Amino acid sequence: MKLRKLISLSVAALMVAGMAIPAAADEAAAGGDVNGDGKIVVGYISKNTTDPFHGPINSTATEILDGLVADGTIDEWTGILDGLTDAGKQVDLAADCIAQGVDYAIILPAEAVASDPAVVNMTEAGIKVVVVNSKTDSTDDLALTYCGSDDVYAGELMATYIQEQLPDGGAYIHCQGVIGNSAQIQRGEGILNILGEDDKFEALGDYPCDWAADKAVNAATDAMSMYGDDLKAIICDNDDMSSAAQQACNEAGRSDIVCIGVDGNQGPLTMVKEGTLGATVLQDGVGQVTAGIDAIVADINGETVEKEYTIPFVLVTSENVDQYLNADSAAEAETEAVTE
Amino acid sequence: MAKNDKKVLGMDQDSFRMFMGKYGIGIVLIGMVIIISIMRPRFIQPTNLLNIFTQISINGLIAYGMCLAITTGGIDLSVGSQLALVSCILGQLVGVKNMNMVLSIIIALAVATAFGFLNGVLIAKFDMFPFVVTLSTQLIIRSIAQIISNGQAVSMTSSVFKSIYSGNFLGIPRPIVYLAIVVIIMYIVMHWTRFGRYVYAVGGNVNAAIASGVSVFWTKTLCYTISGLLAGLAGLIFTSKTGAAQANIGVGYETDAVAACVLGGTSFAGGISTAPGVLLGSIIIGCIYNGMNFLRIDSYYQSMTKGIIIICAVLLDMVMNKKNR
Repeated sequence: MKLRKLISLSVAALMVAGMAIPAAADEAAAGGDVNGDGKIVVGYISKNTTDPFHGPINSTATEILDGLVADGTIDEWTGILDGLTDAGKQVDLAADCIAQGVDYAIILPAEAVASDPAVVNMTEAGIKVVVVNSKTDSTDDLALTYCGSDDVYAGELMATYIQEQLPDGGAYIHCQGVIGNSAQIQRGEGILNILGEDDKFEALGDYPCDWAADKAVNAATDAMSMYGDDLKAIICDNDDMSSAAQQACNEAGRSDIVCIGVDGNQGPLTMVKEGTLGATVLQDGVGQVTAGIDAIVADINGETVEKEYTIPFVLVTSENVDQYLNADSAAEAETEAVTE
Repeated sequence: MAKNDKKVLGMDQDSFRMFMGKYGIGIVLIGMVIIISIMRPRFIQPTNLLNIFTQISINGLIAYGMCLAITTGGIDLSVGSQLALVSCILGQLVGVKNMNMVLSIIIALAVATAFGFLNGVLIAKFDMFPFVVTLSTQLIIRSIAQIISNGQAVSMTSSVFKSIYSGNFLGIPRPIVYLAIVVIIMYIVMHWTRFGRYVYAVGGNVNAAIASGVSVFWTKTLCYTISGLLAGLAGLIFTSKTGAAQANIGVGYETDAVAACVLGGTSFAGGISTAPGVLLGSIIIGCIYNGMNFLRIDSYYQSMTKGIIIICAVLLDMVMNKKNR
């Protein structure tokens, strides 16, 4: 039994030691040591690490923050803390950041209301909080700054594009993100601001699709069989859904249906390049997080930080897609175009 | 297997040996804590330890209900949805209708308990597979939560309500107090009461249990009812924690509860589990989450690390307990 215990102890020790990562550089930085422990530590609470939209944001943040550690602007950062799109989890991660003696924290909230305690608790603990991508309820009052985009405008941008593409109007369906999410609510609001006022357009219904491409495909095929030729457009709260819906329509011989969504993920951008998807609305998530980190650097250097930085949405069509498509995806699109 | 009647610490000797076997998991925990603390001294500071215990309270409560279900040879997959249902009921009663808070909490917990009872009846009375029953009620309960809330998040602004999670009792965060009370009650229920013995009898050998006059129906039904109540309590704490009532919370929470049970030596074959084991399992899960963040482990590797640790810990436990089974 004793031997087994010894083995178990060493196995456990090895397991944990195996997870270790070399400690970060120890150089002391000049200003910005908010909690006065001699080190500048930045926390990063992601919304999740699985959505195609959040992937590039997280990797850009990793790149920039690693760079800041290397050049001595900050001493350490926490690495990407995975919020799992769960507000409760984000509140836990905020507590972890406080326990780790973080000076600045970046958070991409999962929910407007439910993630708010994360912002409140960290601010109360003296951490300077930078909110990125979407606001929580007390962001305006408590956060050092907010870097994001106006989702209502994104909805309006989609609706205007639909108006332009379908001058005679028609009927459309709306594929929603996770119900209750601020982006879902505001984008829906934007769509109604434009199409709700336009008599030529008829809303056939809202389909709750949880941001998921497969659910949008089901909604698209259901709507095609139900409304037939009356269906002219599918507006989606993100472009994972709109690209998948467009693909389903194209495969069903209904490439006349106009699908559009928000985000500007590489998949949909590739489709725009190929010409299989008309347009998508790019949300510059990378720009948002870059602005957030810039704000932290500015604050460390004692420069003034604005309360809010708005990063604009961009309508991406075949005309300007090359600007936003990264090299790998572009090559892929070209190969596919050639094969076709 | 011949039962040894000699009692040690209120348990018969077999279960005492089983309990000793659980120290294997305890050693894993201590090893983890020591190594993380050496690398990140802040990890062992009292504030962080309180932080970890506060964080595990929700999973701990769910895990105790799950443990009862697994011990009877079943599983309760509806717990995550129960969190959402309780949250939405509280949202409507406290947040929208401004009803008396205590009454609202009682109603919400009663509903969760009732769904637990329903699970139990379907499983015990009609002999349906627990996996199928609770998978279905998971969907039904989630849907009811969405209907009640109409898909909207309700902000719970009352500071009294928020203090359910954020308040202190003699300097100890309240969620830890709730967890401690539940651990003590569950210890007594599982190891010192006739009901507890029935649970192990039903899970260990259902035919022998029937032959000895144990009511399988009531034993199983009560287990799922308790699981419903505990999930309801977890939902209450969760809602207070986030200050928001909404229908999309608690997705996948059954996974961590099952993991805590398994780490704590609960056997899926039924009939084997201990109350301290489940607590240890929950603490290990909490330390894994918190410790991985302290060690700056890339989030892409975190789920994998968690999975590997669980498999290793359970393997280790099985090797160490081989004599006992």
